[in-house]
Amino acid sequence: MADVRDALGRVGYDRLAHALMACGHAEFTGELRVSGRPGGAFHLRDGLVVAAESPGAPGPDVLLLRTDRIDAERWAELVRESDGARWPAAELVARGYAGAAQLRVVCVMALQDAAFAIVAGRVDGCERVAGTEPHAPVAVGEPPARLVQDAARKLAALATLPYPVRPDRERPLPGAPTGRPLTELQQELLAHADGRRTARDLAFRVGRGVYTVTVEVARMLAEGFLECAPTPAEIPVRLPPEVGAVRHREPPPEPPPAPTVLPRREPGASGITEALAPSKHGTSWRGFFRLRHQAAE
Amino acid sequence: MNREALALEMRGLREQVTGITDTAVAAADGLLIASDTAESIDPEGLAALAAAGLGLARRTTEATARGVLRQTVAYGSHGCAAFYAVGDTALMVVLGDEGLDLERLHRATRPALDRIGSILTEKTTEGV
Repeated sequence: MADVRDALGRVGYDRLAHALMACGHAEFTGELRVSGRPGGAFHLRDGLVVAAESPGAPGPDVLLLRTDRIDAERWAELVRESDGARWPAAELVARGYAGAAQLRVVCVMALQDAAFAIVAGRVDGCERVAGTEPHAPVAVGEPPARLVQDAARKLAALATLPYPVRPDRERPLPGAPTGRPLTELQQELLAHADGRRTARDLAFRVGRGVYTVTVEVARMLAEGFLECAPTPAEIPVRLPPEVGAVRHREPPPEPPPAPTVLPRREPGASGITEALAPSKHGTSWRGFFRLRHQAAE
Repeated sequence: MNREALALEMRGLREQVTGITDTAVAAADGLLIASDTAESIDPEGLAALAAAGLGLARRTTEATARGVLRQTVAYGSHGCAAFYAVGDTALMVVLGDEGLDLERLHRATRPALDRIGSILTEKTTEGV
């Protein structure tokens, strides 16, 4: 282990191994929550680990859903039928989506994979929590010492590969075409490697264990199917046109002051009296009657 | 606005929280400012959707007197999309896969949002 980790990582690993084994000795039932990156949780029953989960490793539901063994709608249906259980094992078997033995294997694989992800990452601290229930426990629990040693052995094995890879470090890109045949998993990994995804991200994408995918990524890097960019891609920062940055709007212009008193009307101000006044030279009604009177005489 | 500082915040968040796959920052009206997204995602469309969704959520919190809107999360069978308000002038979108721990994301995002808010509102000094 000494060559795989720096001093800080070693301290974190020792802390985790010590805490987990203490849970085993105390025949603890409950959860050991591990903070760190990715961190996670171990669920124990009478000192044996019956489940482990971590953001760093796909859970059993991801392993089933991402490999198209069951589609998301049917899964949601089964979850409803089992009163919202996150792992509807009995319904999966009853409907023929998976065999009981197959589900047990998936759960054991997910447990060991989560333990590997936690051990391979950074451990900041461990805390016992009582009263929580794992959603996909295995029937026969794993002794904590064996689980941690197994995870550490896997990490050491990764470090001895020609191109050692960590689950959350390298973000590989497809290399130049080699013309050599690829396995099904390699083809999938090649299709999803975009220089942004780590081995852990690829494991979630293809629905395979993070250890399996990390080993495969290491092999593909060594064989030239994948390559690593020296620096991560630049994040394009765009700015909206005309506006230098998002900022609070300038205060709107002051509205014109509202008049406090009504304007006083002045006679003749509109000029209407002049417009209607009789013209001096034109005929008026008076002239008209006078003319008529003269004609009658 | 300091572009490098914004890019660093976005990349830092993705590296800090396991399970984040993409991030984007946009103005509240849906104009994209910065994106750290995979090829398969159209960042402009994502920004527009985020603005519409957050606008609706903000109106809902106002209409029901739930206080200031913090975030909305859309859950899918293959992951989730979290939308955060950055002050009242901008927003941030975070996409994650099934492994993303949302509690941890919210904890990590809160201080990052404050910093992104100040980066976005700081006065332009270099003509950017």
